[in-house]
Amino acid sequence: MVKIIYKESDGTEHPTDLEPGVSVMQGALNNGVPSILGECGGQLACGTCLVYVDPAWRDKTGEPEEMEEATLELHADNPHEGKRLSCQIKASDELDGLVVHLPDSQY
Amino acid sequence: MPLITEMNLPVLPVENPDFQRDPMPYVDAARQRHPWLARFEQGYIVHGYQAVKDLAFMDDKLVMGLGHVVDFYQVRGTPWARFMLEMLQSHTGPEHARIRASVAQAFTPRRANRVRPAMREVIDGLLDEWSGRDGFDFAEFASYFPIAVLCGVLGVPTTGIPRIRNAIETHMASLTLDHKYYPGFLEAFDLLWDYVDELVRDREASGERDEDALLDALIAARDAGKLSDLELRDMVLVLLIAGYDTSKNMLTLTMYRLLEHPEYWQRCAEDIDFCAKVIEEMLRHSSIATVFRSVVEDFDYQGHRFPRGAMVAFSMPLANRDPAAFPDPMSFDPFRESETRHLAFGRGEHICLGQFLARAQLEEGLHLITRRISNPVLAGDIAWRPFLGAWGLSTLPIRFDVAA
Repeated sequence: MVKIIYKESDGTEHPTDLEPGVSVMQGALNNGVPSILGECGGQLACGTCLVYVDPAWRDKTGEPEEMEEATLELHADNPHEGKRLSCQIKASDELDGLVVHLPDSQY
Repeated sequence: MPLITEMNLPVLPVENPDFQRDPMPYVDAARQRHPWLARFEQGYIVHGYQAVKDLAFMDDKLVMGLGHVVDFYQVRGTPWARFMLEMLQSHTGPEHARIRASVAQAFTPRRANRVRPAMREVIDGLLDEWSGRDGFDFAEFASYFPIAVLCGVLGVPTTGIPRIRNAIETHMASLTLDHKYYPGFLEAFDLLWDYVDELVRDREASGERDEDALLDALIAARDAGKLSDLELRDMVLVLLIAGYDTSKNMLTLTMYRLLEHPEYWQRCAEDIDFCAKVIEEMLRHSSIATVFRSVVEDFDYQGHRFPRGAMVAFSMPLANRDPAAFPDPMSFDPFRESETRHLAFGRGEHICLGQFLARAQLEEGLHLITRRISNPVLAGDIAWRPFLGAWGLSTLPIRFDVAA
């Protein structure tokens, strides 16, 4: 199992164990983590699974690919660093302990 | 577990003109007997917000129900039926993902923003042409706008629009499940198919290639073996149809709503960000789509058993007016603050491909219309479209002053 820690802006943590290969978005939905909506079910069509990857983990999660980047433009006015769509981050041994911060709103 | 087929559910008379004009008295009464499920003549209709949201994610159990529409008219074997059963929305899983991927890049928020100047050009041109009159049928005016934008996205001329407008209307009418549209929609489909075939052939023969033209990207995908020749044509037609009948209904309903709220008109003219708020609340208050699904495997939801073969309609207009999700749902309030988002574009695998393009063109359209015409008033009788499929107004006569 891969531990993913979802953090709300008020500091509340949601440590969650995911099977390798499960997306960080799906993991949130399956475990009742708030803030992540995933309206399209994970096909890069809605932009409602935004997270901010903790600075310590950005090297490991990598950069968004072109389609993700084009979808993230929805959140262009959002000044946070480390913006990613969590449907595109899959749990893996390398990401064991990953910390992602949850936005207050997906819209 | 009770089967929905054996439950004593309320009936919604969706085909009744009174219902089309104002469904809410019927829905309020139905809700007293069951909070989210009712029957209609051909199947079941889900009208509760949470239920539509939950069920829309069950793409493996509830596939797009166009087979029910084909069987309603008993026209299996026709080219129209083939299209209905094989187009993007009728697929699910990896096949759906493959076909959708062939166009997804053209519909991202980034691409929608890039098309904004072209949207402004289209609406400005239409206003140049139409605003010299004392008044006009806004529904007709609006019908030329989103399809012209879509032609721009495809990279095809807009000169074909008058030829296909009525045919798209007739095709869409088939979704209202009314025998009076048969066999008209079969003939309309033949016309549309010839048009699309001609577009593809002309483009291939021209040898021109434009990296922003979606038709060229689709031809390239076909050449690379990612799409078949038939899938290429189906996709172009799906986009023309989807691009025509949805945004135009939303824009017409927006105009209708703002006739009652002159205080918002000037503000829309001054502030496009406010237009975005108006459009988002319109999508909640007056969304248009009631879509059909077909149960392919028995499943249970909230103590109800849905049997294989049942036809289930998800009604976005009704779900978005569910008081359990939106307090005082009939009040139109662009300042509504809620993390509960309307279901106008659906959820799950079949979530609207064009949602960002639609929002952008509705915002740009509203902004320019409010800048260029003022003091709009109703100038005659309105008429409502049938409720199923794409609801809205078929006629909205207005008079106005031309803004200085």
